[in-house]
Amino acid sequence: MAPPDMKTIINTLKETRQLLISNFLNYTAVNFMKHHADVLDEYFCAGFHLNQSRCKTLSAFPYAIVALGGYGRKEQCIHSDVDLLFLFKRSIPDKAVQLIRDMLYPLWDMGLDVGHATRTLNECLSLAGQDIEVLTSLLDARLVCGSRQWYDQLMMQLRKKVITPGSDRIIQSLVQRNEDRHQHFGDSSYLLEPNLKDGQGGLRDYHTILWIAKIKSGLKQPEDLETMGFMSHDEYHCLTEALSFIWHVRNILHALSGRVCNQLYFEFQIKISQTLDIKEKDGHMPVEIFLGTLHEKMDWLKHEFLLFLNEQGYRPIGRLPMDSIGRTADSDLRLIKNTLHFASPLKILHRPDLLLKIFEESARLNIPLSAEAIRMVREFSHLADDTIVNCPSAVESFNHILLSPVRHFNVLSEMMTTGLLVQIIPEMGAIVNRIQYDEYHLYPVDKHTLRTVKAVKQFTLAPEKPENEFQEQVYKELSKPLLLLWAALLHDIGKGVAGEDHSDAGAKLVRTILAKKKFSPSDIDTVAFLVREHLTLITTATRRDINDEETAINCASKIRDIERLKMLYLLTVADSMSTGPKAWNDWTGSLLRNFSLKVLNVLEKGELASSEAVEIVREKKGRVLNSITEPEDRKKAESLLNFMAPRYLLYANANDIVTHIQLYSRLEHADFVWDISRSEETNTRTVTICARDFPGLFSKIAGVFTLNQLDILDVQVYTWRNNIALDIFKVKPPPDLIFENERWERAEEHLQSVLSGKLNLSTALQEKLADYGRYIPYTSKRKHKIVVDNEGSSFFTIIEVFTYDFPGLLYRITDALFRCGLDVWVAKIATKVDQVVDVFYVRDFDGQKIDAPDQVEVIKIEIAKVLPETGSL
Amino acid sequence: MKKIEAIIKPFKLDDVKEALNEIGIQGMTITEVKGYGRQKGHKEIYRGAEYIVDFIPKIKIEIIVESEMIDRVLETIRKASKTGKLGDGKIFVTPVEEVIRVRTGEKGKDAI
Repeated sequence: MAPPDMKTIINTLKETRQLLISNFLNYTAVNFMKHHADVLDEYFCAGFHLNQSRCKTLSAFPYAIVALGGYGRKEQCIHSDVDLLFLFKRSIPDKAVQLIRDMLYPLWDMGLDVGHATRTLNECLSLAGQDIEVLTSLLDARLVCGSRQWYDQLMMQLRKKVITPGSDRIIQSLVQRNEDRHQHFGDSSYLLEPNLKDGQGGLRDYHTILWIAKIKSGLKQPEDLETMGFMSHDEYHCLTEALSFIWHVRNILHALSGRVCNQLYFEFQIKISQTLDIKEKDGHMPVEIFLGTLHEKMDWLKHEFLLFLNEQGYRPIGRLPMDSIGRTADSDLRLIKNTLHFASPLKILHRPDLLLKIFEESARLNIPLSAEAIRMVREFSHLADDTIVNCPSAVESFNHILLSPVRHFNVLSEMMTTGLLVQIIPEMGAIVNRIQYDEYHLYPVDKHTLRTVKAVKQFTLAPEKPENEFQEQVYKELSKPLLLLWAALLHDIGKGVAGEDHSDAGAKLVRTILAKKKFSPSDIDTVAFLVREHLTLITTATRRDINDEETAINCASKIRDIERLKMLYLLTVADSMSTGPKAWNDWTGSLLRNFSLKVLNVLEKGELASSEAVEIVREKKGRVLNSITEPEDRKKAESLLNFMAPRYLLYANANDIVTHIQLYSRLEHADFVWDISRSEETNTRTVTICARDFPGLFSKIAGVFTLNQLDILDVQVYTWRNNIALDIFKVKPPPDLIFENERWERAEEHLQSVLSGKLNLSTALQEKLADYGRYIPYTSKRKHKIVVDNEGSSFFTIIEVFTYDFPGLLYRITDALFRCGLDVWVAKIATKVDQVVDVFYVRDFDGQKIDAPDQVEVIKIEIAKVLPETGSL
Repeated sequence: MKKIEAIIKPFKLDDVKEALNEIGIQGMTITEVKGYGRQKGHKEIYRGAEYIVDFIPKIKIEIIVESEMIDRVLETIRKASKTGKLGDGKIFVTPVEEVIRVRTGEKGKDAI
């Protein structure tokens, strides 16, 4: 019978492959991949024989078809590429190249990704010596058909000429390449969209294990990992389980995406969890359970890989502990070859505290545990029960671990993987591999928690960017950084509690956990506070107006304590940084820092957010509301109180506030209303004005008083947040008391006309002020002083003017401020005989402070111009 | 068609988004931006060290609308982003020549 022609061969491949793939879910992953490789093998065998029969000259040049890489290992996933080598002895006839193409083109047309090389034996050897990628693919080489002789020769010479002489160098560079690959693809044991092949904990880690075992001991098949003693029986069992899960997921991913796709993108995750038929459990979505399982498997593979490298004596280059000269402080622990060991397994049974002690030593000496010690901690961690882990010396050991910087490796993560951390804090069990299925939380809760602790520790290291200097400085000022580290470790522990706000639930858990560990009540309070409020700063900074003083004051009165604010700030930074790039960037960072500094400023000044101030304001609000009987009015007053500035609430007395609320209710659509009260004993008048605020209002009112020869003795200016200005002027009564009422009426008319633009105040005043000029006593020799202070408040530039009194002074100064583009928010004017101190809290019309030196200079010059010495009076 | 670019305070984003949804605008591009206007940044002082805040964090919203919608959209953004205080940001309007939906190739009004 004549051999089948190319067309028949290709159709057979198409059909069998199609059938296999459409049924892939009925196979175990390993079986499917093996069948898939076999189908391809059959195609190449048939193709090979056809070529032999078609071209007689070819038989003079025997060759071998060799499967490489994943195809060589028979790990042929649905869309995996097909790596091939056509191996010739010495030379390659042109005809052969043509025939090989005939065999490969139909595969490309089918959409298979075929990579092939046609090489002679010597070419293979010299390339393998130069290129590690060629070498690793040859390590997995498998003869498909053709000349077994050439194949055997290649394998033999490869070992003799390339592998044996360079084994150490090759392994070292494999380890290095793995390290680089992990850097690039990230850690699949927690990433949101893990890479099944190239990430840390991915299939490549397993391949690297195989390659190293092949190089070192000539391993033939994966089972040899156990028989040759690279792994224990249990470990090999876990390995096959982890691999078959990952391969299965990979096949599904290939099927869904229709291409070679190794990155588990979001769009496929839910579909995969459906294909795997995972059911919802304990309020966790199927996709969350699926990812949790996958992370667990990949995490296992990642650690097994590290353990393997460690035992084989290879550690990633550049990570060898540098400063590991030291002795263990515990006689039951040993320091051998830069790793820590238990003196004997028996010791652990007698002294379970050694399980914790070994990590304390590891952190102190900056030396990792040996692979065997890690195995023992895994096995024996159950011995560390509540009494052991909560005794004072164990708590102290753990505190030391928390406080020690993360250098070459993270002791806490080691404690987490071995299960010891959950023994120490059982409440953490609920957040291990807890996935939050969204794009915001990049890491499972436990990994995020450890990252947060690490981020806090890194505040102490030399800052990488200038903006981190600030965090470093704040950290250095903390008197008890340990409390911050505990808060970082426990801040999300409430996420394991279903159906409750995680901050509140967490704060409660913190109290139980730390009480068991005998922390002092005030320390427990602090950590519980930090955990409960760990989102306060970031939510306020991003969702409230941070340029509003009120926002900072509210936040400050909640925090109350400077040390707590500092810890909260650092916790917020570390938490956000460890959540992912969507939660932390320069933009959020600067928002948070600006806001925290403003809150700090409020707390340091103490004036408005001290506990007394908070209490006074609270009590005053109560009195104001109680004095209003009408429910309707009380409701209005209540909402109005929310608009009032803290400064006003603190300094105005309750009766006056009630009067002011009444005054405000008369305002309605008018520009302003005022109320004049007479105090006969001091012979002064108090004018309370309630008006719609706009820049320059203050100077206009002052100008109208001056125009009417009403001397201003004292002013308090307040701005409410509903854009209402409340100005309280204390003035001398007009000289002619008989016509006082008429005088007030005229002043009111003036102000009305000024505000409606009918009267030009500066023209009207020019004449008046010229009149005044003659009466000014030039007797004072004191120089006046203008101070512009930008440090007293984060929200306002404070301008203080020390001068002596003369008529129209206030109008002149406030008018100068207005001309400089400044809006007066608060003013305190005090006149003693002829000495005046005027204080203004100002911002520009865009609501910003004025702190550019040239602008400050302009303001000083403009004010100085209107003061008498240099004035043009 | 017009492109509207509005620079607003970060905490006003939700209000603006909601108000725009109410008048039927659903698509918009939101960017976290930093910038300064008349003011050349300011200083924060902490323990004697100065931290220059060159740029102030703001949110930029970009929307493409039909020309006849423009007044309504502008008024909505203005109202929603106003805090009653100064420094509430700015809105820019520019003409847009063409809009094309990549998937279908639709143009103009249909592609918005």
